[in-house]
Amino acid sequence: MPALASSRDATPAAISVNGVHKKFDSGATSVQALTDVSFTVATGQFVTVVGPSDCGKSTLLQVLAGLTPASAGTVLLDGEPVTAPRPDKIGIVFQEAWLLPWKTALENVEFPLSLRGVRKAEQRPRAEAQLALVGLADAAGRYPHELSGGMKQRVAIARGLVQQPSVLLMDEPFASLDEQSRTRMGADLLGIWERTGRTIVFITHGLTEAIYLADVILVMASKPGRIVDRIPVPLARPRTVDMIGSEVFGKLRNRIWHLIAD
Amino acid sequence: MSSNRPTAWLVPACQLGVLALFAGLWEVSSRSGWVNPELLPPLSVVLLILWKLLRDPAFLGDLRVTTAETIVAYLIVAPTGLLLGFFIGERRWLYRATNPILQLLMATPKMIFLPIFILAFGIGFLEKVMFASMVGIFATVIAGIAAVQSVPQGLMRVATAFGATRLQIYTRIYFPAMIPIIIGGMRLGLIFTIFGVLLSEMYAASRGVGQTLFSWGEQTRLAELLAGVLLVVAITVTLDELMRFGERRSRRRRVEA
Amino acid sequence: MKRVYRKAISLLIVLLCVVVWEAAFQAKLLNSIIFGSPSLIWKAIRVDGLTFLQAMQITTFEVVVAIMISWSFGIAFGVLAGAYDFAGRVFAPFVSALIACPLVVLYPILMAWLGIGPVSKIAFGVLLGAFPIMQSTMVGVQAIDQGYMTMAKAMGASSFQRLSQVMVPLALPSVMGGLRLGTSLVIAGVVLTEMLASTDGLGFWISYNRTLFNTGQVYLGIALALVLTAVANAALSSVERRLGRWQALQQEAA
Repeated sequence: MPALASSRDATPAAISVNGVHKKFDSGATSVQALTDVSFTVATGQFVTVVGPSDCGKSTLLQVLAGLTPASAGTVLLDGEPVTAPRPDKIGIVFQEAWLLPWKTALENVEFPLSLRGVRKAEQRPRAEAQLALVGLADAAGRYPHELSGGMKQRVAIARGLVQQPSVLLMDEPFASLDEQSRTRMGADLLGIWERTGRTIVFITHGLTEAIYLADVILVMASKPGRIVDRIPVPLARPRTVDMIGSEVFGKLRNRIWHLIAD
Repeated sequence: MSSNRPTAWLVPACQLGVLALFAGLWEVSSRSGWVNPELLPPLSVVLLILWKLLRDPAFLGDLRVTTAETIVAYLIVAPTGLLLGFFIGERRWLYRATNPILQLLMATPKMIFLPIFILAFGIGFLEKVMFASMVGIFATVIAGIAAVQSVPQGLMRVATAFGATRLQIYTRIYFPAMIPIIIGGMRLGLIFTIFGVLLSEMYAASRGVGQTLFSWGEQTRLAELLAGVLLVVAITVTLDELMRFGERRSRRRRVEA
Repeated sequence: MKRVYRKAISLLIVLLCVVVWEAAFQAKLLNSIIFGSPSLIWKAIRVDGLTFLQAMQITTFEVVVAIMISWSFGIAFGVLAGAYDFAGRVFAPFVSALIACPLVVLYPILMAWLGIGPVSKIAFGVLLGAFPIMQSTMVGVQAIDQGYMTMAKAMGASSFQRLSQVMVPLALPSVMGGLRLGTSLVIAGVVLTEMLASTDGLGFWISYNRTLFNTGQVYLGIALALVLTAVANAALSSVERRLGRWQALQQEAA
């Protein structure tokens, strides 16, 4: 599969996945979640992973994050193998924010820092900076039950970025939001990405979202979970909402749809 | 919670292992003298003594007394408590009036009222039964209320709409819904009743298992004491498990209904 | 406004009961040895007030120590049993069995081993209270959404950090029910064992006065034990209120 040059310089791969297999054994049954998954993500790229319901997208993210080990194959981050969560190098945002309900938004963003024993005085400004980045500077003192779904995810994003990781992994982060919030969050995410230059791997169900956000799209299929195509997105940046209606967009969408549906 | 077939036996196996470990440690530590064998006689000795006790007329007499007290108290606790609970539960105004009082009474440690029962009834069969009934009845009353309130009103309306007769409504809807809760209440009631009987026997009695165990404790006759305790624990745990089993079975039927 | 109204009514009802009680006593309607009266209690305070106060100190000390131990053991074991699913499944029936059996029969053993001083009282209180706490903690932990734990792991939390900083706080609101029951049982356990065999403490003095048919003192002692229970419950309620706010609101928002 030819690797089309992305809009950013293809410096040494930030993430390198080689021949990853993942099998789940639960007693009598065993499920092959991922089969021979290999791809690279260049530093600073925005990659989306799209596929049907049980294609193993989330499992792939768990392996990339170091939350679960691959049954075979390797995952390299800047050349080093990933075997355990590395919150200082890999930030993660899940489908639910999972904010700790007894902590304020600010304290939730500080959470990874406090786990590492960073001094309280140092935690505060770093967390505040991230909240400002996601546009929630004035919600710092609010509790999760006072925040909307979109705001909670923003806090989760800030929390994922607080340790300045080189990579941000996102597992369908906007799936539980309504469509308007989703579109807005997507645009804001692109803004954050452009400002911070992080490498982002974004998993989603939505084809529109996948195309709109990405430099490169990885299309997955199920049974067994595998990558069936790697599609560079030929749309210029910065992306605009109008692009969604364009012919290029439509053709891309159809192409992916057929890959998934068949 | 589903268990995969290969490991379904693992949990019970571990449980047996824990029991075996417990028994083993008891026996070994006592026989080898790590622990003072006067304070902890070996398990084998205790079991032997238990065997003897079960054929000792004095101990059997105690068992009879305690069992009689328990049964009589339970005969008060179970039907009366449940019926009272049904009565209260069916009348919204009564429930709202009495509920705060009931909650308050449930929160207080009622057993400390034992001395008053002795002032009232002296020391004897009646006093034990009255005290144990008081201790146990709250569980059944509350279960009775909860049982009545648990009947899904929606089911009632659907059934009536489909033309179910009053009897059918009672047998097909009311009862199956209520049974698990009732059994649960009867189980708790039994536990509290037994606790009340044994406590009152320990405190002041001339006969009964509680009194016998207590005096063995005072005389540091650990072998007999431990034997008696094992017996009581075995009986009550068995009763409890039987009732839990009944609860689970009835709950499944309810879901099916 | 409504809450003040309701509290005022409750207070009036209590006062009414006290008045009726005293009236029944004065009119010799009821056997005064069994039913006592407010005036008998008042007399008891004047005669033996100091004794009971000192006894209450001892009982309170035993209760506080027993609460601390039973809470620690109960929560620690409950968290471990809830977090490590296999261990939880193995030990759950044992805990249920221990709650079911009349633990009072274990007291003579404690008495033989530890004497009749505060140690055996505290030990029994701990036994009575720890298991319900263990059980409710276990259930509370098992009810936690796994997503929180995955998130914590992703944020770099060690096993211990996940347990202490995420699991325990998340389980705490549902643990509260077990703490209430456990605390009430601890107090009951301490007072009852003082009644059974002791040289001091509220239970002892209640029991002693019973043998002398000093009904006023008996009621006084029981009332003091109830006061202890009420104080413990109030303390728990205030803790619950501070914790409960975010949990209740979170459940609403969910």
